[in-house]
Amino acid sequence: MAYIAKKFASRLITFFIMISVIFFLARSAGSDPFERYLSEDPRIPLDQIERLRVKFGLDKPIYLQYLDFVSSTLHGEFGFSLYYHRPVFDVVMDALPKTIFLLGTSIIISTLVSFVIGVYFAWKRGTQLDIWGTNAFMFVRSTPHFWLGMILLIVFGYYYPIFPLFGFKSPGITYTNTFEYVRDLLWHATLPLTTLLVRQIGMYVLYTRNSMVEVLGEDYMLTAKAKGVSERAQMFKHAARNALLPIVTITALRFGFMVNGAILTETVFSYPGMGRLIYTAIMNDDFFLLQGSFFMVSITVLIANTIADILCALLDPRIKI
Amino acid sequence: MDTLKKSLREFADVYRRSGSGLLGMALLLSFIFIALFAPYLSPYDPYDRVDRPFRPPSDKYLLGTNDIGQDIFSELLYGTRVSLTIGFMAAIFTVTIGTLIGVVAGFMGGSVDEVLMRFTDIVMILPNIPLLILLMAIIGKSSFLIMVLAISLTGWTGTARMVRSTTLSIKERMFVEASKAIGASDSHIIFKHILPNVSPLIMATTIYQVAGAMMSEASLAFLGLGDPSQKSWGMILHYAETSGGWYANMGYPAFWWIIPPGICIALTVASLTLIGQTIEEIINPRLRRR
Repeated sequence: MAYIAKKFASRLITFFIMISVIFFLARSAGSDPFERYLSEDPRIPLDQIERLRVKFGLDKPIYLQYLDFVSSTLHGEFGFSLYYHRPVFDVVMDALPKTIFLLGTSIIISTLVSFVIGVYFAWKRGTQLDIWGTNAFMFVRSTPHFWLGMILLIVFGYYYPIFPLFGFKSPGITYTNTFEYVRDLLWHATLPLTTLLVRQIGMYVLYTRNSMVEVLGEDYMLTAKAKGVSERAQMFKHAARNALLPIVTITALRFGFMVNGAILTETVFSYPGMGRLIYTAIMNDDFFLLQGSFFMVSITVLIANTIADILCALLDPRIKI
Repeated sequence: MDTLKKSLREFADVYRRSGSGLLGMALLLSFIFIALFAPYLSPYDPYDRVDRPFRPPSDKYLLGTNDIGQDIFSELLYGTRVSLTIGFMAAIFTVTIGTLIGVVAGFMGGSVDEVLMRFTDIVMILPNIPLLILLMAIIGKSSFLIMVLAISLTGWTGTARMVRSTTLSIKERMFVEASKAIGASDSHIIFKHILPNVSPLIMATTIYQVAGAMMSEASLAFLGLGDPSQKSWGMILHYAETSGGWYANMGYPAFWWIIPPGICIALTVASLTLIGQTIEEIINPRLRRR
């Protein structure tokens, strides 16, 4: 328990540092959302803009702004997005489930698939299948992520139009029942999901395979072989178990970073998730939105890292809880 | 100097035996060749508007024209220069920063190490691409060098950790203790013992970093943060995405515009990965054994 508590404490500190860094970085951009939107409009008198600034506290010195930020965040008040004209909380809560749906599914599927393929390749290491397969995956991994999405969109969106071109659901439709809604969601999510899957499986097959191969090179594997343990038992009882630990850790961490991975895919497919939100916030100097979405990112990272620590402690007998 | 030459020759001998390594090297050299001789190889100057925009491929324009009427094939060839240069420069910066921090942390140990590692952890945990975008947005105008800097400032963490752990393991070895006993100065130990042993690792990492930097540059350019005056492969894709590439083929996507840059990126990154893997196999005998 003490181990996990200690780790959690350090994660918490990292969490605070994360959101603070974003706070200061965003403010150092030089312009603020009001300047962006309102100074262009000649109908708004300048003192009005100043009053808005004062209202949102942007005229105060930066350390006071920081204190405002910390205290309001602790109260759950995330501010107002200038770009979307809605409270930040609402905007983020709209986008978050979409990203979680897309990336969560892709992480789960890709982990299962890459584990199976990776272990199999490691089992057959050195054979033609292994060599060609590994190189094929490596090549796939070298392709630019967004480009892959564009290709899929060209083939399956335009030339053989099976899948829709953008969005996460068909605009302006009401659904007669939940089943249709889910079907529409899945239909829209298929191409982005496939792009993500291709890339992630490409990455993690290699990782799993190498992890397994390293484990297989350990001395205790040689001992097992010398003891006469069957090859199957060697693979599953001894090797896979030990290779499982880093893989499980990485998977938990990936859940934490899922918000990051979304940006490129969401841009290509115009999928309104967290990635695009962060991108929009940065490009439009919308501090409050940026802080709010990063808060979400940091919370997910915090939770995911803590779960990874717990899993580590459970799986690795060397760590005493 | 002689030992260096000898070890390089040995290295080349072992390298030559690896099929994939040679393939990677051949591919990379072809791209470097294209980059060097782009003005002679390309039919037109990519900055010249040679025809109407959105023309499909023909004998005159191998890959057609883009949204302002420039020849895409020439763009592709010139793009090799930009993408490769950014990749290599960013990789050199990244590895330099990472090695500096890693060696200092590993060698000094103690509180210096602790502080540096905490710092590394924090930078490592910040999401990569949003941070890149943020850095570029803060600096405002985007240029070649700014991109290189931004990519380096976000990518050094892996290298730093690796170099640090290698430094630590070297530090513990006998000959370092012996050197200290004789009274060798710190800088002597660093330059004569630690750096030469860390170099093979750095070599492999640099190659991987070039690949990573090229991907980052392509992603940034695609999102619109690239240097508009430079035609990198990522920028070609950016314009394809935003300036009508999806409709240029009479309502259908201009696949001749979209597909080639991606293939170039993929081939370059793949060749770099192959080379990096081969180098890793050579310096890490454990991987070779099985």
